[in-house]
Amino acid sequence: MARRRPADDHVVAANKKRYPDTVMAYVMIAPIVILLGIFVIYPALQATVLSFYNWSFYQESEFVGLKNFTDVLTDPKFRASILLGLKFVAITLPVQLVGAFLFASLATAVNRRFADVLKVSIYIPTIISGVITSVIFTIIYDYSGGILNALLAKLDLTTQAWLGDPRLALVAIAAPAVWLGMGLTCLIMIAGMLDIPASFYESADVEGANWWQKTVYITIPQLKNILLYLIITGFVASIQQFELPLIMTNGGPMSSTELPNLFIFNHFRGDPYVGYSIAAALLLFVVLGSVSALIFRVLNSEKLVD
Amino acid sequence: MAQDLTLARPVTGTATPVSPGPRRRPRRWLTGTLKALAGLFFVVLALFPLAWMVIAGFKTKTEVVRTPFQFFPQVWNVDNYTQILADPTFLSSLGITGFGAVLFTLLSLTVNSMAAYAFARLEFQLKRTLWVVVITTMFIPGMTILLTSFIMVTKLHMLDTLAVLVLPGAAAAIHVFFIRQFYLNIPRSLEEAALIDGCGRWGVYLRIFLPMSKAPFVVVGVTSFLTFWNSYVWPIMTITSPELYQIQQYLASFRSERSSELGMLMAGSALAAAPVVLVFLVFQRQIIANIKMAGLK
Repeated sequence: MARRRPADDHVVAANKKRYPDTVMAYVMIAPIVILLGIFVIYPALQATVLSFYNWSFYQESEFVGLKNFTDVLTDPKFRASILLGLKFVAITLPVQLVGAFLFASLATAVNRRFADVLKVSIYIPTIISGVITSVIFTIIYDYSGGILNALLAKLDLTTQAWLGDPRLALVAIAAPAVWLGMGLTCLIMIAGMLDIPASFYESADVEGANWWQKTVYITIPQLKNILLYLIITGFVASIQQFELPLIMTNGGPMSSTELPNLFIFNHFRGDPYVGYSIAAALLLFVVLGSVSALIFRVLNSEKLVD
Repeated sequence: MAQDLTLARPVTGTATPVSPGPRRRPRRWLTGTLKALAGLFFVVLALFPLAWMVIAGFKTKTEVVRTPFQFFPQVWNVDNYTQILADPTFLSSLGITGFGAVLFTLLSLTVNSMAAYAFARLEFQLKRTLWVVVITTMFIPGMTILLTSFIMVTKLHMLDTLAVLVLPGAAAAIHVFFIRQFYLNIPRSLEEAALIDGCGRWGVYLRIFLPMSKAPFVVVGVTSFLTFWNSYVWPIMTITSPELYQIQQYLASFRSERSSELGMLMAGSALAAAPVVLVFLVFQRQIIANIKMAGLK
């Protein structure tokens, strides 16, 4: 406002009328703008810049163009971790969705008190930390004294080194991941089912439809949007899983549980130059960020536009 | 969607009404029992790992993963629980994590609800632009900015302080969005009278909106508390002094440094899980009722 022309006074007055609360609004949003600016927006911009540099904590940085990105994209280890991430999603997501669907069908078909008990129980694992979950599942999987192998032995089946066998470790990490993620999926599914008009089921009952028919012809088609939402958010959440493998196996054995985020995190910790890991993290952001932004936009489009 | 109702020929068999509809079949007790069993199955799957942790906390250190396998401890003893509670680092990490979590929750409620109010009710320049910027931050994965945030807090000399745990995550677009949705649904007529009375915009926020915010505040507050209490990666990157150790950090380092003390580790984990389970149980009704609001429309 240093050089103010007379005409500006008009604009200022008009703006004052159109935006009567500007000062007050800025005071109210200043805290989040400052906090997001310092801890999210600036770091995001800096990450973008650094991905073109050969930056390290200890040295002058040097512009390297797209080298970091080509390094990442041509690295067979990075590609292997992405494939592993997709495999992890392929294990966890179907179990979670089918399990949640069955759970929600049950919870909407029993009396209210029982439904409440079911909902609270299924949601409790959601609030447990990754560290504690890892600790619990590690003793469950223990080779010589864990309850899982004891159970297998009782059934005369072969006991397994769950976290030590490269063929099994990913599945062994998937189980606690499903355990943690199930609650939210179930409750969203229940909310979706309760939204289906009861009259649909009533007319199906009149025609003598059984549970299976009602599921296939009413419930699933009506849940289309909810299912789409759960598939996409589940995909994004699942492929980003990294606390469990970090604590339970640290990516091993033989990188069989080195999911994409853990791969990047281990590069952060290990590399002297951060360009590589930042480029990898940015690629992840471009893909996952746009996927979730898209689903958010589709589901909330009328809310984003005032 | 009447076309979805084109059903195949009715098949005889037990009809299990999905919604409370007319029940005409006599085999009600059978479906009832099946439902109870299925319910029990889910409850056991969900709660068994936690029960297993609590039980293991009563076992001696050799019993936890002993061969031959043993379900219950030979003797139920509370030594693990008393020993871990006697460890000053455990207690101080519970205390400092709890203190930080409360600060974090209060800060999160304050800054996010103020912004939510401004975006819901006030007219100001750059509103749309700022809203888009705020919402965009929601889609930046933590991993993308993990390292540059770390560089930032290092430059700000925040490493190894409580501030590095409390400040960075307090402003969260998802919470602003959630509270704003709630504020948009408050009828304008409620505040118009107050505005005419000269209450002012602050007055409206403090005296009308805040008292009505219980439902979104419970959800945002509990979520913030849990996020702080359960966080592990950020604390191990930024906290090095044992006096500031966060509880998850403590458990993880206990696990690697005293790996033979499994009973104590399980007891410590059970005690560290107890506060969040308690917080959840206290507010479960509101949280469960709001799940839908949080994720979808």
